[in-house]
Amino acid sequence: MRPILLSGHERALTQIKYNRDGDLLFSVSKDQQICVWFAHNGERLGTYHGHQGAIWTIDVDPTSTILASGSADNTIRLWEIKTGRLLKTWDFPTAVKRVEFSEDGSKLLGVTEKRMGHLGTIVVLDIKLDVDAEQSDEKAMTIVCEDSKATVAGWSYLSKYIIAGHEDGSVSQFDGKNGDLLYNIPIHELNQPITDLQWSHDRTYFITASKDKTSKLITAKDLEVLKTYPADTPLNSATITRKKDFVILGGGQAAMDVTTTSARQGKFEARFYHKIFESEIGRVRGHFGPLNTVAADPTGKSYASGGEDGYVRIHHFDKGYFDFMYEVERERQNKLNQQQQQTISA
Amino acid sequence: MCETAALIFRVSKTIFAPHSNIQKFPPPKNGGENCPGFSNLSPTKNRRQTSATSTHRDDNPRPFQSSTAPITRRAEPAESKQPHTVKMAAVQQKHDWADDDELEETSTELPPPQKITNKDGSTTIIEYRLNDNGQKVKTTRRIRYITHREVVNPRVAERKSWTKFGLSVKDGAGPAPDTTSVGENIIFKPSFNWRQDAKDESKDPNAQAMKDKLKDKKVKCRICNGEHFTARCPYKDTMAPIGEAGAAADVAASAADEAAAASQGAAGAGKKGSYVPPALRGAGGAAAAGERMGGKYGERDDLATLRVTNVSEMAEEQELRDMFERFGRVTRVFLAKDRDTGLAKGFAFISFADRSDAVKACAKMDGFGFRHLILRVEFAKKAA
Repeated sequence: MRPILLSGHERALTQIKYNRDGDLLFSVSKDQQICVWFAHNGERLGTYHGHQGAIWTIDVDPTSTILASGSADNTIRLWEIKTGRLLKTWDFPTAVKRVEFSEDGSKLLGVTEKRMGHLGTIVVLDIKLDVDAEQSDEKAMTIVCEDSKATVAGWSYLSKYIIAGHEDGSVSQFDGKNGDLLYNIPIHELNQPITDLQWSHDRTYFITASKDKTSKLITAKDLEVLKTYPADTPLNSATITRKKDFVILGGGQAAMDVTTTSARQGKFEARFYHKIFESEIGRVRGHFGPLNTVAADPTGKSYASGGEDGYVRIHHFDKGYFDFMYEVERERQNKLNQQQQQTISA
Repeated sequence: MCETAALIFRVSKTIFAPHSNIQKFPPPKNGGENCPGFSNLSPTKNRRQTSATSTHRDDNPRPFQSSTAPITRRAEPAESKQPHTVKMAAVQQKHDWADDDELEETSTELPPPQKITNKDGSTTIIEYRLNDNGQKVKTTRRIRYITHREVVNPRVAERKSWTKFGLSVKDGAGPAPDTTSVGENIIFKPSFNWRQDAKDESKDPNAQAMKDKLKDKKVKCRICNGEHFTARCPYKDTMAPIGEAGAAADVAASAADEAAAASQGAAGAGKKGSYVPPALRGAGGAAAAGERMGGKYGERDDLATLRVTNVSEMAEEQELRDMFERFGRVTRVFLAKDRDTGLAKGFAFISFADRSDAVKACAKMDGFGFRHLILRVEFAKKAA
């Protein structure tokens, strides 16, 4: 496969995100701009201007009309995707590290940083999915993280829970309606921050990435660890692919440690693991720095990665990728095919 | 439902240097801003396509696949064996320094573009334009439109017609070369025994067993009781092994010695204490995945390696490196030193990355005075 290199950013990427149809790819970086690209050929559709600081996070609503971004200039902003128009700005006391729309797009959560005497919080905002509607200034809900600040958070299926990953390696489950803390379970090693949390397509389970060099597949309902994917480097991002039962992990030596480590290469590769068998099945190299973010195309045809080197690389998979199956998977597939033929003939 | 079209480009390009009849054919270039994959997305083509199909531009999910296609620089018959490949159109022209002296005012008259419809249904378009150097560039493209239908989500199709905004507002249709490029081909084949293929060191059972074995052993010299192997002892030549005093420690120390030797050699080979030549050490062992000294350099190294003799005893590797770095990138400096005294033995080897640098250095540094001695520099002879 020939990756498409997107060089629209001048500084390290912080997050990339596909929209639900998989045709648009949004990227944000520390250079204060948001880019949107056509995923199939890497053409840039436009940029969104207005943020005054590094942008940490981005999310797109399920209908691909509104974009939300959170930045180190202490704001969450809403944008009209089609035109790049700024719709709304919410101010916060500290930087916003993560935003995410709920499954139906009616709510937006934001994770704010713990700094300058302010505790880390998770705020929930009501969103009207209409570019001309007046958005409410009021926060619908605020969850204060007293023990350890949240680094990532997301909405589970039906917006029932808010799941948050913390700096101390634990994962919390909050009630999506009233914000009550239901569980807080130490999942990753103590004091190894969780760096990413991405959902399966139905939002019943999610994958976390952590600096403790592992990634875990966890259910949303009772925070049960289903699978663990060990890596040999601190991880920055993890994602679940569609069509094939794989997960993609991205990481690498932290940029500040690169010169002090002896490794011949900094392990700047995207790692593919089988989602069910937990074994590593391959790596894709290409970035010059650690991978800060990876995202899988919801249609399963491609994946993209954003690195500390400022590049986004979109990879459209080859046939070999789709053909790959474990022996047991192949047997099952054959059996299913046979059954199908029998029912047709009968 | 919407329609898309794949194109075939056959390109011939001729540069007319001003005031000369020489036709220059630029060398084919791969990658870079002239990346051939963009041909099917070049602005004019795309617009043509959209107007023809009026739904959306291009839904080829792997638009850059064709960039491996060879560049054709002569007009060829349009019959193509691979009707779906897209031949490149390198429209931009590399600046050639040889043309600089010919840069003068030229007439800006350009022949009008021609459009010929061929018998087989393809179209030949011949266009002329001036490039940055004032040269006339003739671009011949053979295009065939093949329409294939593909079902696309209507929302996706609608988004493809959106106008660009922000920094991309001035970009034409298709990917802009300043923001989008195509990387090198990556071969990615998932495989369930990926780890075995990669020979992961930590999973190697032999290395792991040896590590466990040596975990609670300490290295002890039989001569001086220091923490090194007996063979490495600085007093090896001057002192005999400790007799009665060290006898108790002897057994443990020798066991450790042997184990260490085995770990250096073919780990777990079963032949304890047998000599393993350095070249074979580490085969299958912990060092298997590691680099071997010299392996990286090999034959190439001999060509750009200088032998420096009559070097002062006090010389340091870094000093030599600094001296020779002036002539080019130095890949390796080896200064022979006496193992016991640490003083230089009087000769050194300097490897350059580039042979031409080595030639320069050889000429300049031969006879150079360094620390009261006159250096002799010559090319190293191939090792016997």
